[in-house]
Amino acid sequence: MYKSIVKLTLLISFVASSYANASPIGPLERERARTLNLILDKTISIAERKKKLEKLKMKLLDLERMTINNKQINKNPDTHTIRAFEDFDLTFLVHNSFEKNKPLSVTWFEKMGLTTDNIMNTRVSRR
Amino acid sequence: MKKNTIKLILIITPALFASFPTLANVSGGDWKPQIVEKMFVLPPQHLNKVLNNDFKTSVLASNLRVTDNKIKSKIDKINELNSFLPNASKDETLEIKHQIILNKRDYIKDMNNLIIMKRQKLQTKKAFFEKIKNNIKYTNKNRVNQSAFLNNKSKALERAQKLDLKIIEKTSLNINEKSKYFKQYETNKNAIEKLKIAIKNHPMNEKSVLSNNSDNKLEAISNYIYNIETEIAVLEMKEQMMSYMAKIVALDAMNLAENVSGINQKLDGSFPSGENYNDPENVIDIFTKL
Repeated sequence: MYKSIVKLTLLISFVASSYANASPIGPLERERARTLNLILDKTISIAERKKKLEKLKMKLLDLERMTINNKQINKNPDTHTIRAFEDFDLTFLVHNSFEKNKPLSVTWFEKMGLTTDNIMNTRVSRR
Repeated sequence: MKKNTIKLILIITPALFASFPTLANVSGGDWKPQIVEKMFVLPPQHLNKVLNNDFKTSVLASNLRVTDNKIKSKIDKINELNSFLPNASKDETLEIKHQIILNKRDYIKDMNNLIIMKRQKLQTKKAFFEKIKNNIKYTNKNRVNQSAFLNNKSKALERAQKLDLKIIEKTSLNINEKSKYFKQYETNKNAIEKLKIAIKNHPMNEKSVLSNNSDNKLEAISNYIYNIETEIAVLEMKEQMMSYMAKIVALDAMNLAENVSGINQKLDGSFPSGENYNDPENVIDIFTKL
């Protein structure tokens, strides 16, 4: 009986601490990863990708706005949050794409240095 | 045995923590500012008003008012008794003087209580402002530590706000994809902008701009603390005055007691000549008279 109470207490404290330690930008990061996954997915058609991407883009935009306007993260920001705000272009992809008037995927590729010129140059250097 | 010890610790520990608020209640006196933390962001002058209003509803304030009225009535009574003195007979004068001394004694007692209560009020107020001062200092310290992050965040916010209009234009076609948050965000943003303009044009805004600045706020609060300290110092002087008043009343009482007993002793302890019958030198005539 005593042991089970101890186990239960440890479990509750673990769950509580894991909630407390959850990064406030976690949902944004997850959605961004899903969007990038979709951009790099070769198994679907271009039309299907475009349709799905449009939907994901709006969701990502909401999450970006929520993160940018979240005042709670000003108090004791974790390293992930600090890092995320250090690179606006990469973290807030939808905002960046609107700012640059370019599609979301292009903005990300460019930011990663994957431009057509760069890729062509790579081919030239290999020859 | 071990289980019993654990049980005992489990019982005692919360009891110990529970005793702290009780102790605080006893030492905290009759006024505990019931001001929520969110009010701390108010400009100092408004905060002071809120604090004063909070005090007015406290038990300490009502006690102060009662004591204040008692003091006023005592002074009125002393003045009234004094006015009877010129026309009073010898016996009446003694009685009136006795009453005056009693009223003066009560006045000193009440005045002393009043000073204690005033001091309590000022010390509570001072503690409150010092708490705010520490809060501001702590926030400023954190702000310096997080300045790089906050700088990045404010830049992000600025960039995002600049894009709001563009986003509305570009997403005007995909109505179905717009979430509830998206629609609410647009509505709320418009409302916030309207409110911002209203704040900017508000006549009181210019005044509060100065006090909302954390450095100015800190200075204003430091000034309040300084003023409270001067008031406490004045009270200390009044306490000294009260002690002198008490001394005078005691001397008056002694004088009256001597008058009643018919003994007029000089300050050095000697008696006026011809009236000190305790010295054989003064009673020689009585003895030599045939």
